[in-house]
Amino acid sequence: MGKKKFLAVLLTAALGMSTLAGCGATDTSTSGEAPDTNTVTEAATPAASEAEAADSTEKENKAVDLTFFTGKVETVDLLNQIISDYNQQSGGITVEQEYQADASNIIKIKFASGESPDLMTTYEQEYVNQGKYLDLSDRNEWWDRLIPSMKESCTDLESGKQYRVCTNMTMAGFFYNKEMFDELGLKVATTWPEFEANLEAIKEAHPDVDPWFIFGEAWHLGHLIEFMPHGYIKAKYGATEAKKAMLSNDSAKLDWGNPDGAMATFAKNLVELQKKGLINEDVLTATSDNCIDAFVTGKCAMFSNGMWCLSDLLTKNPDMADKIGFAPYPAFMEDGVPVVLVAEDSGYSISAETEHVDEVVDFLNFLFSAENQKKYAETLGSPSAFKDVDASWAPDSIVSGVNDAVASATNIGFTNEKPAGFSGDDAGRLVQDLLAGTYSPEEFAKAYEEAWNAGYTN
Amino acid sequence: MQRKKNKAAQFLSLPALILYGVFFVYPLLRGIGMSLTNWDGMGQATFIGLKNYFDFFSDKRALHDIQTTVIFAVGSAVLLNIVGLLYALLMNTEFKGKSIARVIIYLPAIISPLIMGYIWYFLLQPKRGYLYYACMQLGLPDLIGNWMSSYHSALAVLIVVNVWQFAGMTMIIYLAGLKAIAKDYTEAAAIDGATKWQLFFRITLPLLMPAIRINVVTNIIGSLSVFDVIMSLTEGGPGYATESLSIYIMRMCYGSRTGYSTAVAMILFVIILIPVLISMRLTRQKG
Repeated sequence: MGKKKFLAVLLTAALGMSTLAGCGATDTSTSGEAPDTNTVTEAATPAASEAEAADSTEKENKAVDLTFFTGKVETVDLLNQIISDYNQQSGGITVEQEYQADASNIIKIKFASGESPDLMTTYEQEYVNQGKYLDLSDRNEWWDRLIPSMKESCTDLESGKQYRVCTNMTMAGFFYNKEMFDELGLKVATTWPEFEANLEAIKEAHPDVDPWFIFGEAWHLGHLIEFMPHGYIKAKYGATEAKKAMLSNDSAKLDWGNPDGAMATFAKNLVELQKKGLINEDVLTATSDNCIDAFVTGKCAMFSNGMWCLSDLLTKNPDMADKIGFAPYPAFMEDGVPVVLVAEDSGYSISAETEHVDEVVDFLNFLFSAENQKKYAETLGSPSAFKDVDASWAPDSIVSGVNDAVASATNIGFTNEKPAGFSGDDAGRLVQDLLAGTYSPEEFAKAYEEAWNAGYTN
Repeated sequence: MQRKKNKAAQFLSLPALILYGVFFVYPLLRGIGMSLTNWDGMGQATFIGLKNYFDFFSDKRALHDIQTTVIFAVGSAVLLNIVGLLYALLMNTEFKGKSIARVIIYLPAIISPLIMGYIWYFLLQPKRGYLYYACMQLGLPDLIGNWMSSYHSALAVLIVVNVWQFAGMTMIIYLAGLKAIAKDYTEAAAIDGATKWQLFFRITLPLLMPAIRINVVTNIIGSLSVFDVIMSLTEGGPGYATESLSIYIMRMCYGSRTGYSTAVAMILFVIILIPVLISMRLTRQKG
């Protein structure tokens, strides 16, 4: 009996010790954070360690660990290479990359728990307002190299300051099958009736082809709103005035709920195409992969997306390069114009709480070098925003098509000024409801206006 | 001697109490406090009293989510128990390959509901899913409809997937209950001329009541907090049609309404508490 009791006490003590052991602090990094399975780490290599050993005293004094947080899966491998190169010659500064698929949400937890990364790609107006980012306005060594319109895109409208540096540009519009268009003698549409006529011609000639493939993921449907009704407002009032209208929720300019306004007209057009069978039947359940597959196998004629899908298209079918056309969004309002998204991409912000500003800047100088940016632009398939970077970011035929589209239409940016409580995904979910038949176009416009307004008050 | 034993028992229960305090009591109290603020997840929290709780009852989306969650929970509980009981009755008979059949029925329960949702998504996708291609081979291409595109059919799909996954667990509890019923009762009733239906409804079913209670209550509790299978199968869509209250809490929490989301979590806690209390009462009555 005594032995049993002793054993029980011993086991309890062991359990207690092992539980408390989990609470012990670690000293492996400055943040004390243990790497998790989603963490992509690029630590210093043995070669770098040997180099550091050569002048140990100086390096020990300089040893700094920097955390770099990103949600851009497509750049993780390349950045790991660049980080590895940097760590080998940094003289004691070690950059560690952490990738999280749900970065926009996880960064919030990091901010809330006081574990802000030193450097991050996540950027929201809400965080600018809360002073989470370092003011980079005086970093002329970067701004002088940047295309002026990209510097403008990086500028916070309220303060006129810059809290991020964007190294690349991206475009969004309609990707279309040039071969199919040529075969049917179709031209890129500039108005909605022309656009609809093109879709009808495709449907008539190829009944088994989806003229316009839309996939049901909320972000994609939210982008349709972003590029079409929002695009109309941005083109009508100009970038700055549109941003101001959105920041101040100027209902006279935005007018989302108007049954004859941009939002209701967009919804009416979409529902009409759905009824005519001009968009894919499985719009609500199709995925972006389904869309890419359909396009590269000739089962759809066009789809809306950004340049970020280009590498997927070419990976799945390298022979498509000469067949990929790129067109602006047609004007769908009487007083509208065709628009194309030309926006900043790959933005970097430094935490306002970091104790290692000089070290982060040192790393960014390395990352922003013309050599690394050329590599980055070519891997990402996205034009560089630096004037001194000459990169072949896509096959020539695609580049010329994109340049023509950009030159022929009004260029719009992303809406960073939307209400904090109403995300692009929320907008996309309203489009899901519209396509599921829950709303009429007028009800949809009203629901959008209500959700938009609630986003300011919630 | 008895006092020494009591002290030892108290000492031994200390680790469990500490864990309970750290991982349940403390978060619960913090949660209650947070639910009385307008905290957005980052900035300063301001005390706003019960406003979040009042807001909840005028929040159409939240009320719709309660309806969806309750329909899912009740629908799942009813079907899980019917299917689980039928499986158990089948497994209580002797036939060749019974062990393999039992493993196959139970197997889905050990797969993550998130993965299960994705599997069914790729099975059910209209025009692209594996079941669609299978039906096409059989000359029945229209058999697989666009089920995840409307509220009612999407909710039905979610319930069926949930039942398909967890019916094996329900079966195990029923099987244990069936094994515990002494054969004397059924044999005596059979000698008295009872039919098979009478045997089942008059003897087996009443004696299975403890197992039924456990199954119904655990199924309802589990289904009320459903999250992963919905996220992977419909993401709460189309729109917010099949959004459960757990998903709503997550979205509000990440949508700068952390204080409000905590209040909704407290309300969900109370909702789940109802079947728990009913279960405890029933168990006490039985005792």
